[in-house]
Amino acid sequence: MSTVVCFSAILALALNFQWGLGGMVNFGLAGFYALGAYSCALLMLKGGFNTFFAALGAMGIVALVCGLVALVTLRVTEEDYFAIVTLGVGEMLRLVALNEDWLTKGALGLTGIPRPLGELIPPPVYLYFMLALSVVLVAACVWVLGRLSRSPFGRVVRAVREDDVVAATLGKNVLWARVRIFAIGGALIGLAGSLHAFYFQYIDPTQFSTIVIAYAFMAVIAGGRGAHVGAVAGAAAVMLLLEGSRFAKELVPGLESDQLAAVRIIIIGIGLIMLLIYRPHGFMREYRLQVPLKHSPGQARPQPPKEAPT
Amino acid sequence: MKGFSRRRILKTIGAAVAAPIGAPFLNLAHAQGSTIPIGVALPMTGNAGAYGPDMGEAAKRTVEMINKAGGILGGRKLELIVEDSESSASVAANLSQKFINVHRCQSLVGYWGTPEGMSSRPIAIQNKVVLMVSSAANAITEGDTEGYVWRFQMKATDWGIVISRATEQRLGFKSVGVMGLQNAFVLPIMRVFEERMRALGRTVVDSLVYNPEQPSYRAEVQRVFGKKPEAVYCFGLLPDFVSIMREVYRGGFDSKVVALSIAADSEGKFVNAVGADVAEGIRHFQPMPDVSAPGYKRFLKLMGAPADRVYLFPPNTHDQIAIAALAMEKAKSPMAVDWSKQIIPVGNGPGEAVDDLVGALEMVRGGRNVNFQGAGSTCDFTPNGDQIGRGMGQWIIKGGKSVFVEYAKP
Amino acid sequence: MLQTAFNGLVTGIIIALPALAITLLFGVLKFPNFAVGSMMTVAAYMVYALNVQLGWPLLPATAVVAVAFGFICIALDYVTFRPLRDRGGITLMVASLGLGFVLENVARFAYGNAARSFAIELARPFRFFDIRMNREQMTAMVVATIAMALMYVLLTRMPVGRAMRAVADNPSLALVRGIDSASIIRWTWFITGVLLAVGGVLIGMDRALEPPMGTSYVIAVFSAAILGGLGSPLGAFVGALLIGLVSELATLVIPPNYRIGIPLCVIALVLIFRPQGIFGQMYIRR
Repeated sequence: MSTVVCFSAILALALNFQWGLGGMVNFGLAGFYALGAYSCALLMLKGGFNTFFAALGAMGIVALVCGLVALVTLRVTEEDYFAIVTLGVGEMLRLVALNEDWLTKGALGLTGIPRPLGELIPPPVYLYFMLALSVVLVAACVWVLGRLSRSPFGRVVRAVREDDVVAATLGKNVLWARVRIFAIGGALIGLAGSLHAFYFQYIDPTQFSTIVIAYAFMAVIAGGRGAHVGAVAGAAAVMLLLEGSRFAKELVPGLESDQLAAVRIIIIGIGLIMLLIYRPHGFMREYRLQVPLKHSPGQARPQPPKEAPT
Repeated sequence: MKGFSRRRILKTIGAAVAAPIGAPFLNLAHAQGSTIPIGVALPMTGNAGAYGPDMGEAAKRTVEMINKAGGILGGRKLELIVEDSESSASVAANLSQKFINVHRCQSLVGYWGTPEGMSSRPIAIQNKVVLMVSSAANAITEGDTEGYVWRFQMKATDWGIVISRATEQRLGFKSVGVMGLQNAFVLPIMRVFEERMRALGRTVVDSLVYNPEQPSYRAEVQRVFGKKPEAVYCFGLLPDFVSIMREVYRGGFDSKVVALSIAADSEGKFVNAVGADVAEGIRHFQPMPDVSAPGYKRFLKLMGAPADRVYLFPPNTHDQIAIAALAMEKAKSPMAVDWSKQIIPVGNGPGEAVDDLVGALEMVRGGRNVNFQGAGSTCDFTPNGDQIGRGMGQWIIKGGKSVFVEYAKP
Repeated sequence: MLQTAFNGLVTGIIIALPALAITLLFGVLKFPNFAVGSMMTVAAYMVYALNVQLGWPLLPATAVVAVAFGFICIALDYVTFRPLRDRGGITLMVASLGLGFVLENVARFAYGNAARSFAIELARPFRFFDIRMNREQMTAMVVATIAMALMYVLLTRMPVGRAMRAVADNPSLALVRGIDSASIIRWTWFITGVLLAVGGVLIGMDRALEPPMGTSYVIAVFSAAILGGLGSPLGAFVGALLIGLVSELATLVIPPNYRIGIPLCVIALVLIFRPQGIFGQMYIRR
């Protein structure tokens, strides 16, 4: 179970990077996640790649598709329009996964997916290996993203998020920055998808439903938009909440299982809304450059940077 | 905001995440010499949620019966761990891992739906644990299962064979249309059915696949029914079938309709949803136990049910536990790697045909050979784990009620 | 082919009402409401309760629920969206996503997963030249057209409507002119509630009632509103008809199970090349 938390953590990191840092909302997260998992699986099953290269390949494919989406939607600068477009793309991807049986075996799904070092490590120990690998990868992602955020590229990313017109006038290549932001996030999603495929060894379209995006948003918002470690902690907290609510079944008699399942999702929805209302900055802060403001008495005090909308 | 320091939060989360890692080391009370755990994954919620509870009840009563008669392997009692698979592949996979690693089960039973079976198959084979499913999709037993995957249900392609034979012999339609839900177990049924119809010289006017949860099925109905075949075979599930039949009725189409019982009956939900007029004349098929068999009658008594009750799936769960117990007894070992090889001997024989489980256990203990006849079927298997000898029931809806027509074997 | 076109018109009419609701909400409140599908589902189940469980005929049941749901929407806005009013489109969108999950599962909690139907007579169709039309389709077309006409009158002739358009067009100017934006917002949600209740009933008549029923329409509804131009009521109507027509006619060339791809492509193409849609107006949000 904790291993699955790691995949959600990587997804949260991706969303955080694309939206929290880059201001590009990816509502199609579930579809891209599916793309990552299926790419990895197909590269291994049909392409004969080994697990390492298949995962890399999947990361590349999702990064490429995300980059293309960013490129094609360069004119769509409104945040919510962009979100709707990504929702559309995500849904298209899932539709293709469901219907193109010649490629994806449709609803039957792909089974027998190999896992990294699967031959070498005996099954009982393997779970620990998988967990360790996932945790290491999460840490690696946090480190890489952290470095990126503090780098000049990171500053460009944040500038584009706050006001892309200003960023453009300052000579930053806004379009290229957006493409790169989205592509990097895409690579992370591809990694999460590959890990998912390795862990379950069986993927079908129903595993990638829209609720994934709700979890990812909760994780990012709870952890503080823009904060990488926060996103990971948020993901863990959300998964805890989910798994914990499964046990609520024992505590609440008199409700049928169907109703309890519905109640769990109601709690998630309400949780999401309450997070937005009461804790929009989450529990941790984004890394911000502290620059002391100097001003002389006669000058108007410079305006503070525009507050991030959530 | 104060008081939620970063450190505290990270520490709590870290602890919570670490806890499940330590769980296997707690080895919850399954030390050698005590109970034998059996993992049961059943759909209590989700699409198939209607079927889980009865299957769980069957499992419970079967185990109670065995334990009351003294258990197996020198008095060891069977212990059930029942969990909700939520009709979901990933949940089932997690459950399977949990059963194997935390509860040390050597048998996984239940597994009604295809996604659950598909996702748990590699886990079972890798861990050398027996997986017994009650789902139809062929893919579950394809390839090398190393003797660990066993199907207590009719294979999907067999459904297609039986339905096409019934069409040929009884229904006599000359032209048919076929519609199927994009779903793992429907597609093989459709394919086999179409092939056989063509082989028998019937015309297949059109065949299409549709997605679940579409806003409307108008276009699909228009396309297939519009070509006016004598009958349309609609292989889907309840929600889409309801929408489709409403569309058919309102569109004024005359073709007869044949479907699967999980769509057209579903414990009466279908007629409730569309009304008797729309449902009139629809035929439906479903694999079912041979209700005239002594094994089934015995099962009814075990469940405390009236003599005319038709249970579609719970007899399979009973049989799964029965065969597991018998195989363990015959192999004199609770480890799946030993008793998985005994499943065919106790199910197929050669040996004395017996349907009384307790009696059969006695005989096996005494070193005699048995050929167990189960509640859901005669429990005869092919080497790759499929069950043979299962039949399907055919019903027709008249006056708002499903009327049994006949029982047919593949 | 004519039959397919007719079917397309019917589909379009059904999504016209929720598309109108979306476009009004977007115009006045400036965010896309993803809970629109689940709202229709809940309203439809409320009508089901009156119609099937209490035995009321469908028309009075719908009327009562429409009014009640208008108030319910105001309440939902008060609880969910009002605290987030100044936070920007994305926050509101994510909140509406959460609300959508909640509402769909409230319906699931109350009524379970099985498909149900309203207690109306299903009748055989009658033919008009070569086209088959059935009673529900006729009802839907009549009802939706009446609703559209009423909306038109409301928005152009009545003070409330004009105020709504003013707020949509230029909120600060409307404020200066003394228009009480809180009251306008309440009116907008009330009208939304009525539209979605009627829309939900039309959908429920067209197919089975089940918890995911409204959500499966969300993509098509948004596509219609965007095509017509977010913020333009006439656009919503025209957009809906077009989406319906194109989706159905497309099944003559592409496999039917890809039908949902059409609205998706329309969304992407419109937002990329002409975000204001057919009738909408370009607006810069800053």
